[in-house]
Amino acid sequence: MIPGRRAAVLAAALASTLVLAACGSTADQQPAGEAGAGGVKTDKGVTDTTITLGVMGDNTGPFKNLGAGLNAGNQLWADDVNAAGGICGRQIQLEVVDHGYKADTAKTLYPQLEPKVLGMVQLLGSPVLAALKQNLIDDNLLAAPASWSSEVLNNPSIMMIGTTYDLEIVNGLAYLQQQGLLADGDKIGHIYIDGEYGGNGLKGSQYYAEQHGLTITEAKITSTDNDLTGIVTGMRGEGIKVLVLTTTPSQSASALAANQALGLNVPVLGNNPTFDPALLDSPAAGALGALYVAASSPPFSSETPKAVEVANEYKQKYPSAPVNAGVHTGYVEGMVWQAVLEKACEAGDLSRAGVATALTTLTSVKTDDLVTELDYSSPGAPPTRGVYIAKVDPAAEGGLTEVAPLFTASEAEGYKAPYQQ
Amino acid sequence: MSDTLVKPSSAQPAPAAPKRRRNWLAIAATAVGLVLLVLLPVIIGTEVAYLKVAQYILIGAVGGIGLTLLVGQAGQLSLAHPFFLLVGAVSYAVLSGEAEADLVGLGLPPVIGLIGAVAVSGLLGLAFAPVAGRLRGIYLGVASLSLVFLGLWLGQSLESLTGGTSSGRTPPTFELFGFAFANSEPAPTILGVAIQKQQRLWFLFLALAVIAYLLARGAVRSRIGRAWRAVRDNEAAAAAMGVNVTRVKAGAFVVSSAYAGLAGVMTALWLDLVKPDENEFTGNYSLTVAIAFLAIVIIGGLGSVPGAVFGAVVVYGLQQFFLLGANEFGWFADAEFGGLTAVVLSAFVYGTAVVLVVLFEPGGAAAIGRRLVGRRAPAPVPAAPGGRDTPERNDDDPRA
Repeated sequence: MIPGRRAAVLAAALASTLVLAACGSTADQQPAGEAGAGGVKTDKGVTDTTITLGVMGDNTGPFKNLGAGLNAGNQLWADDVNAAGGICGRQIQLEVVDHGYKADTAKTLYPQLEPKVLGMVQLLGSPVLAALKQNLIDDNLLAAPASWSSEVLNNPSIMMIGTTYDLEIVNGLAYLQQQGLLADGDKIGHIYIDGEYGGNGLKGSQYYAEQHGLTITEAKITSTDNDLTGIVTGMRGEGIKVLVLTTTPSQSASALAANQALGLNVPVLGNNPTFDPALLDSPAAGALGALYVAASSPPFSSETPKAVEVANEYKQKYPSAPVNAGVHTGYVEGMVWQAVLEKACEAGDLSRAGVATALTTLTSVKTDDLVTELDYSSPGAPPTRGVYIAKVDPAAEGGLTEVAPLFTASEAEGYKAPYQQ
Repeated sequence: MSDTLVKPSSAQPAPAAPKRRRNWLAIAATAVGLVLLVLLPVIIGTEVAYLKVAQYILIGAVGGIGLTLLVGQAGQLSLAHPFFLLVGAVSYAVLSGEAEADLVGLGLPPVIGLIGAVAVSGLLGLAFAPVAGRLRGIYLGVASLSLVFLGLWLGQSLESLTGGTSSGRTPPTFELFGFAFANSEPAPTILGVAIQKQQRLWFLFLALAVIAYLLARGAVRSRIGRAWRAVRDNEAAAAAMGVNVTRVKAGAFVVSSAYAGLAGVMTALWLDLVKPDENEFTGNYSLTVAIAFLAIVIIGGLGSVPGAVFGAVVVYGLQQFFLLGANEFGWFADAEFGGLTAVVLSAFVYGTAVVLVVLFEPGGAAAIGRRLVGRRAPAPVPAAPGGRDTPERNDDDPRA
């Protein structure tokens, strides 16, 4: 075999010589922004007639219900914009891919998607976001994440839509205290999934506890622990007054069932990912009533006029699809993109750099109260701090009824996010 | 060997050993294959996504080769591969990364980091060897599974090393003698294709995979491989022939762990991220990965090094390829709210492949490949008088 191997090496060496002869350098192939229709500068994802935005969602993974809602919300927004004549004289096109909440899949799909799009209207999942962080920065590609941790705000390519998990919890606790369900010096329990989502929620509890002299009993779990009875039993022993959850829906169901079965019966606070309307068909349905959800976007059944409008459009277009809060969130992602694109169009620059610049000049994006007014002028800080409070209600569409309209607690105003300047 | 028993007649010259005859066809095919692999970035051109899949396959191949040596050659079932992947990835980040706010980093040159990560993984494999030496078969499999859970817990607890499950940490860019495996301006081009980060990573991965492949083939054909197979087939007999069973078993575990460690470093470079998993079922170092590697080894044929490469193409390549095809050609376009998607389909494909292999061709792709090539396979040798033929034990054939 030795002579054979030598022959192979020789062949490879010959071939590589040929290849090297064809080598060069990219020094003189710098692509520059081109001026398109209406004198607007463009580079990737924008033609004279269309603006293409990417969606990296989850149709097959653990968040496929929420993911379907989000994708539908994005699409409804694009349809509405296109019906109204588009943005900057161009129609919006969405390029949708499904990564199934897997970072490795997303990493492969990204280079296929990237050259086709101006930015991403939805990028779902914190593992995916973490894996694509460097890509987004390298390509100067603006993305609206469908995950709301303030830990990602050190990435200038992230356009947070709505407020972050930590602030949702701060506002939620403030609401419970306003309602007299919590007093200074009380004990509270917080069960959280180890990871970006749970950990960021815990930061909110810790901040609020500091402000009001609360003691927190913390319990860290992984996203596959499904029986929380033992933890809740321990917390009952501690005498907690409020239980905070940043957990998956099935874990919330377990905690809520234990809350009732053990006779603890304290109010339970969660945020958007804590609840899924599908829980109303689970054995824990009877115990869900104690759950308050603090979220930056409205519940599906919200009375906010724009929310009602979007909900009706959704039911008309996807009559048999699941109903959840993702629809409004997806729609509002689009609305913020719209504000950015219009600003960039005004400045005559729809290139990626132009869009990134346009974002930082936006100080008050209004979304018809789907989320509170957004301010993108200070990178590192959450763009907004307000939330809706909803309570579980089997009679309501999407399983949640709004109990407090959009509000921002004074404690939330004073909170300093991890990367806030 | 038989020639010690059958004496050639002295009247006739000993027939020239037929195995010396070179198989020019195979040599040519190998050469063409290598050239194609080297030129892959040029062939793929701007469709970098496909290059990303190809890189991913090489990760599966390196890890798969390590596992096939352990499971197929040395006969030790292990599900701990993801743990050693994690160890490799984290070691690389710690050894070569810069120390930051809450992170430990030694700032060594990336080459040293890569070699060190492989060494650390191997050493941890050695630490597990006492357990591996005492257990066999499914018991060893279950015991090794505990390492995956240990990895999950350590990954979450040792945040100063792993970066934690929230955001993880960024592995240092690989560099070789000052040449960075990252984007640069201006970039060199080959036949008009810019050789940027992904193209460079491909060459790096290809080099690592070829080295890993050749080392494995070398080990299988040498005394080490024979010792592994001897221990696998009968420990008592192996001991009687002078094989130090404990040492050979430990050695196999070390080698396999080192391969997994290398695959871990490649994973970190491929993802631009070192991040421990949030739970034991999903993620890059989870049970799913343990099963995937086992599938690679089974589909490829237990113990076959080329088979492991083929298995990696099926298991690591297909899903990603389907996904890209789905977007490019609009397959599965109607699966908006569930239904048959690329992910589901590829899971079925590799699940079916495992079942078919186990049912109809326990030798896996390697056995099928041998038959297709029509190589003059030696007659199946009964393991014992009257025993079952075991042609599926691959790579016992030194010419394989």
